Amino acid sequence: MKPSMQGSKETIYSLPKQSVWKRLKKQTYPQLFVLVGLIVLFIFQYLPMFGILMAFKDYSITSGIMGIFTSEWVGLKYFNQFFTDYQFEQIVRNTLAISLLKLVFTFPVPIILAIMLNEVRISAVKRIVQTTSYFPHFISWVVVAGLASIFLSTDIGIINEMLVKLGIVDEPISFLSDPDHFWGLAVMTAMWKEAGWWTIIFLAALSGVDPTLYEAAQIDGAGRLRRIWHITLPAIQGTIIVVLILAIGSLLGGGLVGSNFEQSFLLGNAVNSEKSQILQTYAFNMGLAQGRYSYATAIDLLQSIISVTLIFGSNWLAKKVTKTGLF
Amino acid sequence: MKRTVEDKIVDFVVYSILAIVFIVTFYPFYYLIIISFNDGVDATLGGIYFWPREFTLVNYETLVVDPKWILAFFVSVARTVVGVILGVLCTSIVAYGLAKKDLMFKKFYFALFIIGMYVSGGIIPLYVVLRSLHLLNTFWVYVIPGMLNIFLLFIAISFFREIPKELEESAKIDGASDLRIFISVVLPISKPVLATMALFTGVGQWNAWLDSAYFVQNENLRTLTYKMMEVIQKANIPIDLQGPGAEYAAKVAQSTPYSLQITAMVISVVPIICVYPFLQKYFVKGATIGAVKG
Repeated sequence: MKPSMQGSKETIYSLPKQSVWKRLKKQTYPQLFVLVGLIVLFIFQYLPMFGILMAFKDYSITSGIMGIFTSEWVGLKYFNQFFTDYQFEQIVRNTLAISLLKLVFTFPVPIILAIMLNEVRISAVKRIVQTTSYFPHFISWVVVAGLASIFLSTDIGIINEMLVKLGIVDEPISFLSDPDHFWGLAVMTAMWKEAGWWTIIFLAALSGVDPTLYEAAQIDGAGRLRRIWHITLPAIQGTIIVVLILAIGSLLGGGLVGSNFEQSFLLGNAVNSEKSQILQTYAFNMGLAQGRYSYATAIDLLQSIISVTLIFGSNWLAKKVTKTGLF
Repeated sequence: MKRTVEDKIVDFVVYSILAIVFIVTFYPFYYLIIISFNDGVDATLGGIYFWPREFTLVNYETLVVDPKWILAFFVSVARTVVGVILGVLCTSIVAYGLAKKDLMFKKFYFALFIIGMYVSGGIIPLYVVLRSLHLLNTFWVYVIPGMLNIFLLFIAISFFREIPKELEESAKIDGASDLRIFISVVLPISKPVLATMALFTGVGQWNAWLDSAYFVQNENLRTLTYKMMEVIQKANIPIDLQGPGAEYAAKVAQSTPYSLQITAMVISVVPIICVYPFLQKYFVKGATIGAVKG
């Protein structure tokens, strides 16, 4: 990817002891290039950031962008509205449950997969399994939801057909509409889609391990499992911690496997909503479907605050425990 | 070295599980393809696992003559092409500026971009901004808001920093302007990073559906993924609530909404399969670099 290059330390733009103006003039183009980025950044990142103020105001959509600043302050009115909403507990419970279940069940999978692939000596097998396993990462969640609806349906779904034929169940299971199956459905589909992708990162860490280490351990009489335990695992320990911090930091979005919103939106329906409605989908429906912009922004903000706290919290914890952190 | 009992057990477990992983990820796509080539009514009887039973091209023919699907397909292609061109141009030119070692106010600029990467106002304020800019319900809402990808920006910056100074200096001595150097010296040797950016952006554009659902009302601007979402959402709701999906079934005897949905899914996955070799080459590198460098 990188051409090997050695740049000299001197630069062509600045010479010492020049006025700011002169130096700027010398780098007109680079400054202009950056300015393009700043304009785009301001419009699509920073202006919406100011929009967070809407959560504390009575905002009306007709007042446009300026309305964000001119509308009336209402303090925590919308937050209280949400806390007293009859669905509040249900939504918070679903959000936390889905996020935590995903963390617990999907986080170890890429690590285990990477360790297994690392044990494979036939390179063709390794390549084929890897190539297919991360393919779903590039597929839209819409297609994944479609696959789920095809394979898990009660009348033509292959999974139910197999379960019935093997005598595991008597009646087809309604995976897609029974609320009690939604959490499992969310965990399984996310795992299917993203586990192979995260395996790449652990395998990249393993590619740097010196093969003579394994040979030496073998000569010393360490069996396969001991070699995994003493060589493979320590080699990816650092990566595991970094990835775990990322996963906890993005917990509410669904962690590594992301997509809580897309799953609840695409696989959720009127029938299973008691288990599939989460903070993000609720805010989304309130805001864009029902036009309660301030209320929706308040719920969104609540989630952002929890997320930021989690990022810094997990980083702090990781630093305390293992002396490594992201920042 | 002789293989011990432990070796045999470990190998057996590893190969068995990897075989399951392979089947579970490969078969669903294979199944989609065989059903898409099978007669729709026949497919609903089930029992098709490895090969189409009633081979037909009718599902594809039905989709190809349906103006709604054709249009959606072209909208998806257009947003992918335009989105990639705009995104790569915008992100690379900004990255080139930021990669200059002696750029004034560099620290301040970087702080702004990093904050922009981690803090976002959320979808509601973004909607308000798009509305005020009159981008809602236009094709541009697909390509303009995302044209600067901050994650890719940093990947590009780290690449441009590696370019030897001598190259640019000699061009400068020949009297080329910075813009000229960027276009005729820097871009030609930056193909790997440009490819990475193009692929990231392209896959994202091709798979996007949310903007089509909420920032656009004009039916002629719907994307392929959005159309699929409509069909799937209907499919997951018990039959008695179903509406428009049934009209296709009446039109073409052998195609069912179910088969059409599967065929649309195949059509949406095929382009990704086509660029997959390139994805592997650049994407995976980009992802691991991004992750290792944190």
